[in-house]
Amino acid sequence: MERILLGDEAVAQGAVDAGISAAYAYPGTPSTEIYETIRRYAGTVDPPIKGLWSTNEKVALEEAIGVSYAGKRVLVAMKHVGLNVAADPFMNAAVSGAHGGLVIAVADDPSMHSSQNEQDSRYFADFAQVPCLEPANQQECYDLTREAFELSEALRVPILLRLVTRLAHSRARVIPVAPRAQNEANYVPDASLFTLIPSNARRAYAKLLDKQPAMVEYAEASATNALTLREGRRPAIVASGIAWNYLQESLGSALDAYHLLRIGCYPLPIGKLRALLDASTEVVVVEEGYPFIERCISAHGLLREPPIKGKLTGHLPRSGELTPDTLRRAFGLPVRETLRVAGIEDVLVGRPPRLCDACPHGDAYTAINAAIARMGDDVRVMGDIGCYALGYLQPHQAIHSCVCMGSSIGMAIGAAHAGMNPSICVIGDGTFTHSGMAPLLDAARANVNIKVVILDNSIVAMTGGQPTMATDEQVVDLVAGLGVARERIRVISPLPAKAGENARIIRDEIERAGLSVIIARRACVTYAKVIREHRREHGTTAA
Amino acid sequence: MNYDLVICGVGGQGVLSIAWAVDHAAFEAGFHIKQPEVHGMAQRGGAVSALVRIADAPIASDLIPEGTAQMVLSLEPMEALRYAPLLHPDGWVVTDVTPLRNVAAYPDTGKLFDVLFSLPKVIAIDAARLAHKAGTIKAHNMVMLGAAAALLPLPAGLVERQLSTLFADKGTRIVAANVAAFRMGDAAGRFTADLIGGGVPAGVAARVVPRIDFEPTPVDGDVVATWIRRLRSPTAPATARRVFASPRTVQLDLPAITLAG
Repeated sequence: MERILLGDEAVAQGAVDAGISAAYAYPGTPSTEIYETIRRYAGTVDPPIKGLWSTNEKVALEEAIGVSYAGKRVLVAMKHVGLNVAADPFMNAAVSGAHGGLVIAVADDPSMHSSQNEQDSRYFADFAQVPCLEPANQQECYDLTREAFELSEALRVPILLRLVTRLAHSRARVIPVAPRAQNEANYVPDASLFTLIPSNARRAYAKLLDKQPAMVEYAEASATNALTLREGRRPAIVASGIAWNYLQESLGSALDAYHLLRIGCYPLPIGKLRALLDASTEVVVVEEGYPFIERCISAHGLLREPPIKGKLTGHLPRSGELTPDTLRRAFGLPVRETLRVAGIEDVLVGRPPRLCDACPHGDAYTAINAAIARMGDDVRVMGDIGCYALGYLQPHQAIHSCVCMGSSIGMAIGAAHAGMNPSICVIGDGTFTHSGMAPLLDAARANVNIKVVILDNSIVAMTGGQPTMATDEQVVDLVAGLGVARERIRVISPLPAKAGENARIIRDEIERAGLSVIIARRACVTYAKVIREHRREHGTTAA
Repeated sequence: MNYDLVICGVGGQGVLSIAWAVDHAAFEAGFHIKQPEVHGMAQRGGAVSALVRIADAPIASDLIPEGTAQMVLSLEPMEALRYAPLLHPDGWVVTDVTPLRNVAAYPDTGKLFDVLFSLPKVIAIDAARLAHKAGTIKAHNMVMLGAAAALLPLPAGLVERQLSTLFADKGTRIVAANVAAFRMGDAAGRFTADLIGGGVPAGVAARVVPRIDFEPTPVDGDVVATWIRRLRSPTAPATARRVFASPRTVQLDLPAITLAG
């Protein structure tokens, strides 16, 4: 039945209708709704779809490789920087190949709406030498997800499905088809392919290389790589993914003057590109993200005959997402007149996001700031990824770094080694189990003089309230299990009434040499209801 | 038919619920839609927006080009100005008048309203007050959806029907409160559009309408005509400023003499 779906939801629906038996994900904007939707559908199919909000993206992909090994179809979802975490299994699953259909849906975030970079996942697919499908609209999100599973099983490779924010988080009508049944379990017949000791890996890698011509052939034939050649030599446009939408919007019937090549499937269709280049006086490449296609067809700018224009040449902006208006400007078309508001500059200010009212992180930052207040102006606190990154902004201005998931603890260790004292870091409960445990193990093994503040709010809040892997006493036990002395694990309750006491505890630990872990434990106020539900599901009670 | 709408406000105010209701009404009416929205970090008290594109033919771009939006529907008065570059010169701004001051640099509200009410087509609503009257302050967003309903290319009844689905899991009392909120907003929105259509300067209407005590029923035609006469008088701008400056509510059937005095 025809429905309105977000791009993310359309991917989820496509995966369910393609007959997945399992799905795994780690939440991250703009990919989160993919697995959230699959979870909603999981019980409506027979047998129910298994799956997890996994500990991190690497684990999620490894779980998925296991499903594929057993012959069933599986989807993994993550944001673009999540694929960095999962890079190891990703690169090696390309070599081992897939058995049951294995699709990795990755949502890029050009313009960095909710991210620390705008890396382009097409490079990862290219790096791993596997196909990448890039839908342009919600219907294609649905259709190409299903196609990706077919392709994965036909070529026996994992497939990367690349989304971008404006597609992932935009709704439109989608017409689904009849769902396909799930695969029967059927273990990979040649286990050596998944046993990548060097002798096997060489053979497996040779197989991956042997598959390359078939991938190009597929891309060449794909309807999503649509070539429109018109009479004679003339200018041409190559547009991929969502850029195609903006191009249609902004150029409209003016597109009839160009040869057109629309790209939705990689590796690039070399034959179609050759035909286009040969028929063109110049080529403009319009793509969301990095100048991936432009670099390929211009050989990094070395070959420019015919002239190839795009982001490398300054024809289009090098960073940030495309819009219909950036394209109009790039093609020399006037942008439309807009409502002029006299005096607007005096009454319109930015409104950045902030911690919620009564947020426990705010009270934790108040305590940390009070604890370090008399230690000089240059005390730095390493921060991490999550709501609490907003502590960088007014009014707290309490953290001084935020690089990648779990980085706070490792950076504090390094800074301590470089002579920084005190060396303090803050990390949320979700980020701690995602990738903070390994660096804490380092710190415990070497008893590095750092103070780790774990902000345990019992939820993964920034992405909309997904369950955390460990909270309350589980966090204490994890920290102790990693080798932190029990008497150096202090649990505080971040509340305004306890500000003085909390600051004193933090100061005491700063004054003691060696590793301390201070757990600021208070449930998120915004997701209080969701936390109660999670606790009911797991039979745990609030600490 | 092409209709581009920007819905905006602050994270947590219910922008996305409005978008959902408009989407599904447009879908039910058989239109094509594209509707991008902001998820993630900005939802923590930052500026949030959703775009709704409605058309009778397939829509290419998810984003609205500059100068094409027919309406900015805002849940907060400063946010109403943020998306002006997307608005067509003839476009409407439909906004709540309750400032949400969660930034230190929030502008002087006197200046803010002077700029906002200088727009040629503005509808200003005290949605917080009407929502409270409807039974839940959380229905603030549905008052604003109601206020926009008269201008949307969709039957108001079709938009209103989406509310039963949207709030189904919250119980009948909440559904009823939101429907009442929607209808009060609809009454206020239509009333304002009628005033402006009858020659009342938008800036005058914008200062009076937020103080009027609307019911969840359309305003009677004779009452509208009386208000048009009243608010076209030379003294109306000054009176409107005074009415807006006072928190007191004004009855719809208030005798002309009281207002003029």
